[in-house]
Amino acid sequence: MRLWNILQSRLRSIVFRDRRESDLSEELQLHLERETERLQASGISRDQARLQARRLFGGVEQIKEASRDARGTAGWDALVRDARHGLRRLARDWRFTTAAVLILGLAIGANTAIFSVVNAVLFREEALADPDRLVNIYQNDRAGRPLIVTSYSTYMKIAEYTDIFAATMAGSMPNPGRYLYDGAVRDAVVEFATATYLDTLGLRPSLGRWFDETEERPGAPLVTVLGYQAWTRRFRADPSIVGRVIRIEGCPVTIVGIAPASHRGTVDIGLGTDFWLPITAVPAVFANLAPRNAITIIAPFLVKARLREGVTLAQAKAAMDVLAQRLAAENPGQFRAEGEFAVGPGITVVPSTDVRIHPQADTPFMAIASLVLVIVGLVLAIACSNLATLLLVRGTARAKEVSVRLAMGATRRQLVRHLLIESLLLSLAGGIAGCVLAWWGMRVLQGIDFPFRVDLTVDYRVLAFAIVLSQITGVVFGLAPALKATRVDLLTTLRDEGLQPIDHRRLTLKNALIVFQVAVSVLLLGGTSIFLQAAAAARALRVDYAVNGVAMLETDLRFAGYSESDARRVFDDLLRRVAAIPGVQSAALLRGLPMDVNGVGIVVDSGDGQKGSTLEAAAITAAPGFFDTLSIPLLHGRVFDERDRVDSPRVAVISERMARQYFGAVNAVGRRFRSVNDPNSWAEVIGVVRDTGTGDFDDDVLDPIAPLFYTSYLQSVALPTTVVARTSGDAAPLVAAMQRELRAVDITLPVMTAQTMAQKLAGSLAIPNGIATLFGALGGLGLVLASIGLYAVVAFAVTRRSREIGIRMALGARSQQVVWSIARGVAGLIGVGTGIGLVLLVLVMLALRAGSGSADIGIGSLSVYQPSIDPVALLAIAAVTAVVGVAAAFVPGRRAALMDPLVALRHE
Amino acid sequence: MSDQTDVLQGTLDLLILRTIALEPMHGWAIAQRIQQVSDELLRVQQGSLYPALHRLEHQGWITAAWGASENNRRARFYSLTKAGRKQLETEIAKWERLSAGVNLVLQRT
Repeated sequence: MRLWNILQSRLRSIVFRDRRESDLSEELQLHLERETERLQASGISRDQARLQARRLFGGVEQIKEASRDARGTAGWDALVRDARHGLRRLARDWRFTTAAVLILGLAIGANTAIFSVVNAVLFREEALADPDRLVNIYQNDRAGRPLIVTSYSTYMKIAEYTDIFAATMAGSMPNPGRYLYDGAVRDAVVEFATATYLDTLGLRPSLGRWFDETEERPGAPLVTVLGYQAWTRRFRADPSIVGRVIRIEGCPVTIVGIAPASHRGTVDIGLGTDFWLPITAVPAVFANLAPRNAITIIAPFLVKARLREGVTLAQAKAAMDVLAQRLAAENPGQFRAEGEFAVGPGITVVPSTDVRIHPQADTPFMAIASLVLVIVGLVLAIACSNLATLLLVRGTARAKEVSVRLAMGATRRQLVRHLLIESLLLSLAGGIAGCVLAWWGMRVLQGIDFPFRVDLTVDYRVLAFAIVLSQITGVVFGLAPALKATRVDLLTTLRDEGLQPIDHRRLTLKNALIVFQVAVSVLLLGGTSIFLQAAAAARALRVDYAVNGVAMLETDLRFAGYSESDARRVFDDLLRRVAAIPGVQSAALLRGLPMDVNGVGIVVDSGDGQKGSTLEAAAITAAPGFFDTLSIPLLHGRVFDERDRVDSPRVAVISERMARQYFGAVNAVGRRFRSVNDPNSWAEVIGVVRDTGTGDFDDDVLDPIAPLFYTSYLQSVALPTTVVARTSGDAAPLVAAMQRELRAVDITLPVMTAQTMAQKLAGSLAIPNGIATLFGALGGLGLVLASIGLYAVVAFAVTRRSREIGIRMALGARSQQVVWSIARGVAGLIGVGTGIGLVLLVLVMLALRAGSGSADIGIGSLSVYQPSIDPVALLAIAAVTAVVGVAAAFVPGRRAALMDPLVALRHE
Repeated sequence: MSDQTDVLQGTLDLLILRTIALEPMHGWAIAQRIQQVSDELLRVQQGSLYPALHRLEHQGWITAAWGASENNRRARFYSLTKAGRKQLETEIAKWERLSAGVNLVLQRT
């Protein structure tokens, strides 16, 4: 009953707030009147009586406040009142509010979006059962470093150590693949794995089962396990998909299960694996990865094993050393092989928890990731220091307001509550802006056309962290000046601010903030410039082959179930039809897309019988008609024609640069080279063509005019996939016309790629462009934030000196002198900040150079950008910071100097 | 005037409840009544009277209703609720224990 009364009274109080207020006034009014009457009755005049009544009564407003407090709704009332007041204040100081909300929003939003990407790629930890007992096992190269590959035969021998390992598995690196489902061909990430894969990791399929040992035998019907993400996103989490047949790379494959939701792939770098296939499906599915025999499947396999209970890491290492010696003794010949997969004697065992991607790849990967994180952290630091500065400045400027309110009878508690609510409102607005920006940023990032599908979701922990950090900054720095202000000596502050001595101390909080901000900005700009350099290098491409008027169309006959001979006939038909399209000047068949490169190691026949060393070159697949279609001029010899077949001697066409660099003369016709991996792959140079840019930056060849060679797909068993044609007119209508011809040949053939060469080039620039945009935006963001902060502090400092400036102007100082004296002070601070920033930047760059370097892990060199310390760039960075900083000092300084001295003198 | 004692915080509630137990009264009248009945020995701090009234009302021990004052003005008349009557008894008992205790201490030391 009482509870109900309380509730009722409270509700009434809240709902009928206005009536309650007037009631209270009326009640107190009556009291005063009665008191006056009483005193009057005792014989004093009415006026005196009223005065005395008031004196006896005390402060009406205080009593009102205390009565409200007594009702328990005071807290709520005060909240509403303070919130209203706060909103009014924030709306009035809209410049400050906008700046603060923008700073918070950008810092929270942009950082969350960027960190989410980095996190998705590099830092996501997987929950495995008993991860401490898992080890990674690698075969070593000749220098004793772990390779990325382990041959299948070695894996089988490792798996025999069942007294050491409770379970052993092998999984391939993610491979790009395509699948046909529901009438459409889509890109997918495919991995090959053993039947023991999931059990070894200690995971269970979320639906169906993993493939078993019978399905792993060569020749067994193909089965696959679907990745969880692929299942939910591409198959709408339809449980009936298990048991259905789809086509992967043209081969019919039965789906037997769905992978666990937590497991995204063997190498978890943001690529969600869509399909797992048995290891033995490699030859059937990827003809180009086909093993020369069943024992040595040459594909990058990662081997993981689970230690038996009670077996130590040292025991496992010892066992593997024994195995390594046995392998060396059994097959000494295997170490004679050279090239990318050159195996040395030795096996490395590493606890899985110590490895992120690969022991040799982790350092450079982490260097890049840390750089990104450092930049993100710097942006957050700048944003927080900005917010702090803005709030400090505002808080100090409000000291007078605070004293007025204290003098009017406000308590400290009320003041602090009020300022706290204002800070919270501001942070809340910033937080909302941050969430919106984070969401929008993710949309933008998802819009970037990555060649692989990165599993991108907003990382809510990061979002929460950024929000909490900025709220703490807001509250702490919003309150600090307020608390200080509530302790002010009322009289001096009220009387005059201008009389306080000018602060000559050098090490004030504000000065430190300026120096910090400048240093961090320099560091941020420097970090950004590293990425911009890399992006610019990739964009500065030289394309010396036909782009205008070139169109391509890629299909895959395996999806339509053609036999090989039928397929060749269909392609010949298609080529004839495309060549007959009006306007087409030249057309060619091709495997893969034109000008796609593969980095390979080659060995050149020096002619004097000596064994040459391994050289890096880029390989491009060509065919008869290719050079004509892409207008690549022939310098010496001939290009491919119908004479170059599977059964004829291997031939190659090389670029001018390769001829000069590797054969010492442009006319290298008749010379020989081979792939490092295959001692029987000698190819004779039949022609030399003009250098071209490769126009392909997806792959690991960064040099735009690398030594190139062309091979003809006609000399391999592979089928063509693509028709490329050049027209005298526009390429876009040609793409459409080619698709019409494809449908005319067979309506069921899937279109995998249909684009112009210009579109292909734009596509291959997507990543450099994306990176440039991302980091350009981040650097710009930092610069904007730093400038806002710098401007705010300097402008405030100058405004506080208005009175001093006025005096100096009144005493005859020229405005320029005044402005320069102000700018000099600020320039000193900026100079110190820039110096510190540059030193830090050089240190970071040196650390990066030491930490990265190319890590040769057996699949070609993993190129990691090494920042060069460019004095011009450093100077430019320093100049940008200095200009922004001095401008921030100059503009308000000039305004103050141009003020009427009288106004300036009266200025508070 | 110097003989007057300010009503102790905590006893004010008791005095208010006791005063309006007889009949509904408005704020000023309550203060006057306490002063009169105590032979001008007790003085209600007017600054604490209204907060106390609102607190008691909020706690559900008294209710307020608008009525006409002796000078025919609109005034808020406070009266005891059922819970208030019970509270009054508790407060009286508490006070008696307290004063008895204080007296004992004064006499025996």
